[in-house]
Amino acid sequence: MSAASEHLYELMTQSLVAWRLIGTVRGTSDGAILVSCQTHNIRIEPAPPDLPFRWIVIVDNRRRAAISLVAVLRQVRAALDPGYATMRARIAPFPLVPM
Amino acid sequence: MIEALVLTGFLGSGKTTLLGHLLRQPGFSRTAVIINEFGEIGLDHDLVEASEESVIELQTGCLCCKIRNDLATTLHELLRRRDEGSITPFTRVVIETSGLADPAPILQTLMTDAMIAGRIVLGGVVTTVDAVNGADTFDREEISVKQVAVADRVVLTKTDLVGPMQLSLMRRLGALNATAPVLAAQRGQIDPACLFDGRLYDPLTKSLDVPSWLRAEAISDGHAYQRHDVDTYAIVRRDPIRAVALTLFLETISEHCGADLLRLKGIVNILESPDQPAIIHGVQHVFHPPSWLARWPSNDRRSRIVFITRGVPRGWVEALLEALDAEVVAVSAK
Repeated sequence: MSAASEHLYELMTQSLVAWRLIGTVRGTSDGAILVSCQTHNIRIEPAPPDLPFRWIVIVDNRRRAAISLVAVLRQVRAALDPGYATMRARIAPFPLVPM
Repeated sequence: MIEALVLTGFLGSGKTTLLGHLLRQPGFSRTAVIINEFGEIGLDHDLVEASEESVIELQTGCLCCKIRNDLATTLHELLRRRDEGSITPFTRVVIETSGLADPAPILQTLMTDAMIAGRIVLGGVVTTVDAVNGADTFDREEISVKQVAVADRVVLTKTDLVGPMQLSLMRRLGALNATAPVLAAQRGQIDPACLFDGRLYDPLTKSLDVPSWLRAEAISDGHAYQRHDVDTYAIVRRDPIRAVALTLFLETISEHCGADLLRLKGIVNILESPDQPAIIHGVQHVFHPPSWLARWPSNDRRSRIVFITRGVPRGWVEALLEALDAEVVAVSAK
């Protein structure tokens, strides 16, 4: 498993705990992460290098691109947690140096 | 900048008595006071006498509900009257909340209102707890738990009625908020210096008093306090964090935790600014724009972020920060 997939594996495992959901997370030999929870099977795999995305999230055979882990989390939770209402709060980007 | 102090605490916990005492102190002259209560109230006579040089504004209704905009309006109005010279040129604002108020929206107003944020800075939150009934109140009234959880200082009142501080109550306060020192007051009397030396913003030095408010060391590594579903823990990180990763981290915390993030405050070693640490603090899904210290307050240059949450697991927070920082590194390397 690549370092990125290891981070994703740990993050998804902890996310199920944080969202109070019961399910399983496991890695595959091709670097994908499988999340099984309730009646959903979710596969998260690294996006091909020629795409401007980081991940592909497949929820019950429906494929969607995710630009970052933030987007992965949003898609996975939206699929698993019907009570989750995406809050589009945005934190203003940090100035890279003090103003 | 004018410092705003939020004084909260459950009904009957001694907020007004404490405020009356504070307003009698020479250092508290020229204070604007906003008192919020449900329904019609009679202004405490002692409070009026104590505030000859201060300005007192009354609000009815609950600050944390529909009145949130009213707080902003009241503050704007106070500033306008101050500017035109029709009231005392106050140098401090104290907002006494209703005993039933959730302080979080009040803090958010102070942090986010564009007109307020430029002139008024949140100095800190003081929460009064009745030493006689405090423990029972925590059991019955969830809002009293939250009032303690967001505090920078906890003031135990009516201690003269129970003798020495009760160990069990002290333990509960420590469990609810390990970062806030607990002070005792008898009949509202307390040294104001003790009360506000842990403020977020020091108007004298015009700087953030980080060591005193960020008491991360009060929370041992790997240990979280939990009671009433309120956890307090500190994330400590030796490696600098990239600014973009921190932005994504705060955004994700905000999105997924919302109201369960009671309070977050921290000093962060930003990779792009190794000599000037960033100060962050947030309440629920609202974060104050980061401040930058001129220098590190000590030789300890680790990032330390204190979380006070309702059931947000530490493991998730740590995994999130690690994963996002690693992703930013990977994307940057491309």
